[in-house]
Amino acid sequence: MGVYDFTVKTNKGVEKSLADYKGKVLLIVNTASKCGFTPQFEGLQGLYKKYKDKGLEILGFPCNQFAAQDPGTAEEIQSFCKLNYGVTFQIFEKGDVRGETAQPLFKYLTSQKKFEGFDEKNPMTAVLVDALQKNFPEYLEGDGIKWNFTKFLIDKNGEVSARFEPTTNPADIAPEIEKLL
Amino acid sequence: MVKVYSFEACPWCTKVKKYLSSKGVEYEVRDIELNEDYAKECLQISGDTMVPVTTIDGKNFVLGFDKEKLDELIAG
Repeated sequence: MGVYDFTVKTNKGVEKSLADYKGKVLLIVNTASKCGFTPQFEGLQGLYKKYKDKGLEILGFPCNQFAAQDPGTAEEIQSFCKLNYGVTFQIFEKGDVRGETAQPLFKYLTSQKKFEGFDEKNPMTAVLVDALQKNFPEYLEGDGIKWNFTKFLIDKNGEVSARFEPTTNPADIAPEIEKLL
Repeated sequence: MVKVYSFEACPWCTKVKKYLSSKGVEYEVRDIELNEDYAKECLQISGDTMVPVTTIDGKNFVLGFDKEKLDELIAG
């Protein structure tokens, strides 16, 4: 079983086998187009523009599981929401990414790369952990997806190479992507 | 006429709309998720697709839920 064994649907409803991406470096991300806690569309689009021609594909999987669950502290961080308008990488159908109802692809990804903690250097980490402890302490347990914008890096052979938590900014992944290209 | 560029699931947009209503200000809702033209307009006004964007003339605008700035815009 590998990444290439999965078939998913694009946001236009077209079936797409991940085997179509053989030979590419993939960044698979659970996105949120609404009031994401850590909106990273711009950063991801930046990576895509920079590395697309060198063989990077970004696969965005919208998920509502965290969308309706804005941490209470969000007001201190931002008072606006962002739509994913202007993103040119592939967006797939909306679906769950954690728990029993998670899409098979995300069950596979989280089984391949465990949760190893948040980026302690990111000031958002304290806010996210605090919000999770208060509202969804069960999310902190186990290897499931913790929040929007968890990123899985797949090498050209379909191996899950790394997992980056929502607290890792897309730009900080660039060196890891370059190693695989 | 005050225009609020927004989308349905955006809680900050709801806050702006409620605030304007509480001040007795009439406004037009321009949903950037459902209407691509509005999304483009919003992009032209603020340079981004972050909402809420509140504007009267399409030039001066308030991004986000900021009571003071909204008051200024309405008074202006």
